[in-house]
Amino acid sequence: MKKLSLLLAGILLIGAFLAGCDTRTTDTKVSGREVRLAVWGSSPAEVQALDKTIADFEGETGIKVVKEVISDSYLDIIKTRLIGGEGPDVFYLDSYAAAEVIESGAVMALDEWITDDFKIDDFYPSLVNAFRGSDGKLYGIPKDYSTLALYYNENLLKEAGYTPEDIPDSLEELHRFAEALQPKLQEGRKALTVMTDLARMMYLAESTGVDIIKDDKANIADPEIIKNLQLMVDARAKGYADNPQGLGTGWNGEAFGVQKTAMMIEGNWVISFLKEQFPEVKYGVKEVPTYNGKKGTMAYTVAYVINADTDNKENAWTFIQYMTGPKGMDTWTKGSGVLPSRKSVAQSQNLEKDPVKSAHVAGAQYATPWQKGIHLPTVMTNFNNEFLSAFLGKKSLKEAMEKAQEVANKEIAAQK
Amino acid sequence: MFSLKQKEEINGYLFILPAIVVIFTFVLLPIGYSIFLSFFKVKLLGGVQYDFTGLKNYLTIVTDERAKIALWNTLKYVIIVVPTQTMIALILASILNSGIKFQNGFRIIYFLPTLTSSAALTLIFMWMFSLEGFMNQFIGWLGFAPKNWLGDPRVALNAIMVMNIWSTVPYFMTIYLAALQDIPRAQYEAAEIDGASAIQKFLYITVPNLKPITNFVLIMGIIGTFQLFDQSYIFSGGSGGPSNATLTVVLLIYQYAFRTMNTIGYASSMAVVLAIIIMIATIIARKINREESLY
Amino acid sequence: MKGKRNIKEILLYTMLIGYGFVTLMPFVWALSASFKPLSEILKGGMNIIPESPTLDNYKFLFHVSPYFPRWVWNSFFVSLTVTVLNVIFNTMAGYALARLRFRGKKIILNTILAVIMVPAQITMIPNYLIMKALGILDTYRALIFPSMVNATYIFMMRQFFINFAKDVEEAAAIDGLNRIQTFFRIVFPLAKPAIATQSVFIFLGMWNEFMKPLLYINSQELFTITQGLNSFKGQYATYWNYIMAASIVSILPIVLLYILLNKYFMHGIQLKGDK
Repeated sequence: MKKLSLLLAGILLIGAFLAGCDTRTTDTKVSGREVRLAVWGSSPAEVQALDKTIADFEGETGIKVVKEVISDSYLDIIKTRLIGGEGPDVFYLDSYAAAEVIESGAVMALDEWITDDFKIDDFYPSLVNAFRGSDGKLYGIPKDYSTLALYYNENLLKEAGYTPEDIPDSLEELHRFAEALQPKLQEGRKALTVMTDLARMMYLAESTGVDIIKDDKANIADPEIIKNLQLMVDARAKGYADNPQGLGTGWNGEAFGVQKTAMMIEGNWVISFLKEQFPEVKYGVKEVPTYNGKKGTMAYTVAYVINADTDNKENAWTFIQYMTGPKGMDTWTKGSGVLPSRKSVAQSQNLEKDPVKSAHVAGAQYATPWQKGIHLPTVMTNFNNEFLSAFLGKKSLKEAMEKAQEVANKEIAAQK
Repeated sequence: MFSLKQKEEINGYLFILPAIVVIFTFVLLPIGYSIFLSFFKVKLLGGVQYDFTGLKNYLTIVTDERAKIALWNTLKYVIIVVPTQTMIALILASILNSGIKFQNGFRIIYFLPTLTSSAALTLIFMWMFSLEGFMNQFIGWLGFAPKNWLGDPRVALNAIMVMNIWSTVPYFMTIYLAALQDIPRAQYEAAEIDGASAIQKFLYITVPNLKPITNFVLIMGIIGTFQLFDQSYIFSGGSGGPSNATLTVVLLIYQYAFRTMNTIGYASSMAVVLAIIIMIATIIARKINREESLY
Repeated sequence: MKGKRNIKEILLYTMLIGYGFVTLMPFVWALSASFKPLSEILKGGMNIIPESPTLDNYKFLFHVSPYFPRWVWNSFFVSLTVTVLNVIFNTMAGYALARLRFRGKKIILNTILAVIMVPAQITMIPNYLIMKALGILDTYRALIFPSMVNATYIFMMRQFFINFAKDVEEAAAIDGLNRIQTFFRIVFPLAKPAIATQSVFIFLGMWNEFMKPLLYINSQELFTITQGLNSFKGQYATYWNYIMAASIVSILPIVLLYILLNKYFMHGIQLKGDK
């Protein structure tokens, strides 16, 4: 009897879902005016800001936006959906992955759609260029960006007998400053934390004009690059710097929040993180000190791109136009705390005067965008894999980089 | 009318039909497609393009240094983790089945790690293995110097091993517990009359009776450890570092399938080779455990 | 004699409690962390009782999306359906492979074993294409159909049935029951411990399944709980406090289920031995 009821329950359940208990809301065929948008999961503030901007857009144009959140493995999922011909109309694309997606032909060139009214010149050129294909065409409109800046803990400096004015303007001197600061800090604290992935250090590696990828080949073992990065490795060896993991934390923001580090070079996403989770920490922000006599920082930017396969290009472009237009961008960046990629919006928000954000905004003028063609992912994986060994003192930097370059180049050759 | 033998045959097919249909559609077809891809150089994104390359992908594996490192890491991992987790699971299950007090409570507590997703577990463990985490405080209490578990290539894989054993033991223990219910009490009672000790009963009644299940546990353990991915992905942020210390075969397959362009054919060939290696390993394990001859 | 026994017992319980501590520690820590503000978690203290306990992390979770109750229902519905189907299909297949004679059995068994050996990462794209061809993307069916049968548990059930005493079935045959009747009336109830184990694992696996919903489900109202709880993750910052609260929320229903089902694990076929 009992098994019978179990069986019945099973059949009922099957019936339930076959009867269409699952409402399929996103039909592949667009009915009426609708745009399908795919985004990754983000912080609460960003979600709110995006929803508000979308609501404004819907109110103004009457086009409905269907938002699809891909909460993890974003790029893998997007690629799979595009391969399956089920991609969204519009989606986020990180500058880092831009080259691969653009060169594959999966996204649409936007040049014909951009009118003079749109004022593409209002965007910072380095951000726009991150989404240009090798054919020179533009494939994405940067919705915002983040840069790195120098953060210092005011109290820790004060306790050690320094003022923010003592922080030098060049990175070479900053490291000497950190070395002097270290003995004055409590046990368990470091003067400086550094994150050792290529995404954080590419501008240092390239600060003398050398390229990490040259002629479609990894160039990370170039003597000049090794010389440029040696500073970071020495910093840990001399004891005044470490990575956040070395301090029992996951990333710079955490180490800074629990006041285990006096200084860090970090992106503007840390601002809202510190405000929400560590309101007690008093800190100041400066532009990243010059290195080799030149200003530099990284810029991370994300664009809206249009699926080349979609029939819904008109609506998709209307959407992008609004979201990256002066009004949409203003709502979005104000709410989310990211920086506007339009100069005019930065001006109207008075960001040059903002004590915290100004250092980040200034960086946009000279930043190295986090982008280096289709082979960047390969080079990055191998760089990160090996650099850490050098940083931890298991290998010399030269050995590590030579190994990483050799493996990366083998892998690049295999992709041809 | 059908003969008895024919009837049994028809029933056999009937019983297995749903399984066959589902496995064929959702498992065999995709695998077939992957095997097909393994002989091509493939571009999938933005317009499909296949170039037949024959055995080239397979030959590349032999010269791929990272593939060798990944295989070596994975083998080390399998050889240590599989026997350890099987033994701990078996011993715990028989203790819990021996009629001790609070066995229900112990069972529930021991089962907890299985309930959480491996991503959440890995995150908890990363905190525990961090420089000021539980592990270092514990070994410090025992009088050892703290270790950089996550950053040091020499110990990073060990940290993953500990974690994996910890999280899979309860799974296999639960299976053993269910299997222990099938052993006739009479066998134990007879042994007790003969004056057998607890250890003798374990070795001469429990272990032989559990042989088919031990086979299952070994094979699943081998497959699971050879396919290690989640932990090393989260530990290393996807790179397999530091210096390939946490690089596993499946992590490498993943990198080739999704991180680098147009190498999904190569990734597929690696997956085929991995499946063959796992097959060989399970055959060896079955030989060692002397698979029942009940086909 | 008695003293020796006591020492043995003390040793045994010390071992059991020690191991229990090892398993429990991370969970207790996660549970306590879910009531701490992020700053306290990161300070790395070993204190289990939060210094400044807060419910904010849970409040945040329940307000992160209006779909929250729907996500719980989705996970529950999909996991339950999959479990019921698996128990029926896997047990039937395992029984056939262990007990019935038919041609091609060995090939089928080996194929079932072989398919488990291919890593899932490589079949992600072809699987997606199949779902698309079947037209079931972004529906419950995309989650249920491919998971209706599980090769691992077919194999497990086979290994269980190999040890089964033959006399029970023979008795059934004498009573005039055919194979199908024997299976549902005699074999199924006798295999209770194995089936209970199987159902818990399948339910668990489906509940915690992450990659499939991520890939096949686009609409927020069809998200599963694991998928939904991950969508607040920042791109750069890790909110351990929310992550811990989320993992506690998502495992709680399974812990309850396990405790409820626990009695079935031990109700075995002791009868058999007495026969």
